[in-house]
Amino acid sequence: MGDVLRVIDFGPVSPLRSQTLWHAAAYGVSEGEPPTLSFTRPSAPYVCLGYHRSLAEVDQEYCHREGLPIYRRMVGGGPVYLDDGQLFFQICLPARAAPALRQEALRMLLEPAVAAFQAVGVPAALDADLEICDGDRKICGHGAGQIEDAVVVCGNLIQRFDHERATRVLALPDPGLRAETLRLMRRYVAATPADPQEFQAAMISAYATALGLRVAPGQLTGAERAGLTDLDAQFSSVQWLAGPEQPPARTPARTVKVRAGVWTVGAASGDARIVVSVVRGTVDRAWLRAAGLNGMTQAAESALAGVPVAAVPDVLARFGDPGRQLAAAFAGADGTRL
Amino acid sequence: MAPTAIIDVQGFPLALDRRYQADTHMWVQLAGPGQARIGMDPLGIETSGTLAQLSFLAAGTELAAGRPFGQLEAAKFVGPLVSPVSGTVLAVNDAVVADPGLAERDPYGAGWLVEVSLSDADGDLAALLGDADEITRWFAARLAGYRLTGVIAQ
Repeated sequence: MGDVLRVIDFGPVSPLRSQTLWHAAAYGVSEGEPPTLSFTRPSAPYVCLGYHRSLAEVDQEYCHREGLPIYRRMVGGGPVYLDDGQLFFQICLPARAAPALRQEALRMLLEPAVAAFQAVGVPAALDADLEICDGDRKICGHGAGQIEDAVVVCGNLIQRFDHERATRVLALPDPGLRAETLRLMRRYVAATPADPQEFQAAMISAYATALGLRVAPGQLTGAERAGLTDLDAQFSSVQWLAGPEQPPARTPARTVKVRAGVWTVGAASGDARIVVSVVRGTVDRAWLRAAGLNGMTQAAESALAGVPVAAVPDVLARFGDPGRQLAAAFAGADGTRL
Repeated sequence: MAPTAIIDVQGFPLALDRRYQADTHMWVQLAGPGQARIGMDPLGIETSGTLAQLSFLAAGTELAAGRPFGQLEAAKFVGPLVSPVSGTVLAVNDAVVADPGLAERDPYGAGWLVEVSLSDADGDLAALLGDADEITRWFAARLAGYRLTGVIAQ
């Protein structure tokens, strides 16, 4: 793959360009341009969806009202809120230069970022879920994918994080679910106010060292610039935003992944409503509403705290018909994934 | 479809009634004259991580051997599903799109991915592993390699 790491600092750019610029670079790398480390900072807030995710997960009405554009990226992960408090990086290699196994590729391409965080004084680590964390808090949102014959991993330095807005842009049917998601977002997603210039320098050094490449500041080529125009149009189209065709959602339950191993779940069956937060497979908190539960509500909520997800139906069943109705609602969530 | 002949290879099921693309872990099973089902074997699935999402080319779309016929997302990594054969997509398994875990639970059965009409059955199938002994040796060697490198737990 040659001996050069092309480094492109796109600087502050529009929300659209904060996506399409690095996608254009990825297509360039696929066509033979050198491995590329790029940086972008959106000049205005927006929302971005992972390749497969449903647009229905985003509160489009709120985003429209607030003037927040919504774009779909070609790499994975969920819907996220981005603003100028976040510096984004993208490392892109020819696919043949990355391990064929995606977990290995992810590890290889995230470990230099961990080293860069550490170099600027953040005690970061790559956890077993391949998330960059400080303790049990996620400090870098990442996504990855193969674009033609290039592998790209994206992430960010979160200098400031608007937890409230990051939760508000999500379409959540229940105020209780929104409140619990915000609570966990605040608990498990943290900003790291490192100096962005120092972080950027540390990133360049860490990736060049890890990949054994010589740093060469660069820009998009003419061909990549031409591709950028097409990408601008593609990413602005209704068809692209709609995403790949998917069958209707399997379950009526709404789940939100706050970070790996940390979820909120909201579900309803008839007039029974259940909101549960799950941390590492165990219920953290529960919020229940069901006709007939009456004075047992608090007892049922307390009984669920600390219970493995798989045991939730059995615990609820102790509370008679209302409990069974809540269990039926909860069955709408795929507990095996939580 | 004929009953599936499945053997156990060091804890992983291996179906011997179909052909395999060695690099991608895709299987191909003839489903009628000039037609085949495509799926992914358990090693391919295990080494992908927990499947989060699957998407495929729509029915009626042409596909080419060595080119993507869909996308698989695991661990927030979206990567191509590479077709072992050329032809036209006849059907997509909507059940596995709705529930990617189906491919993990039943990789040789209900977790199939797409059905295709083959445009070069003889040529494409000849390029795949088809002999039971050869398939077993390949699968065992891949598994040993994954375990040696820690990709799959011992």
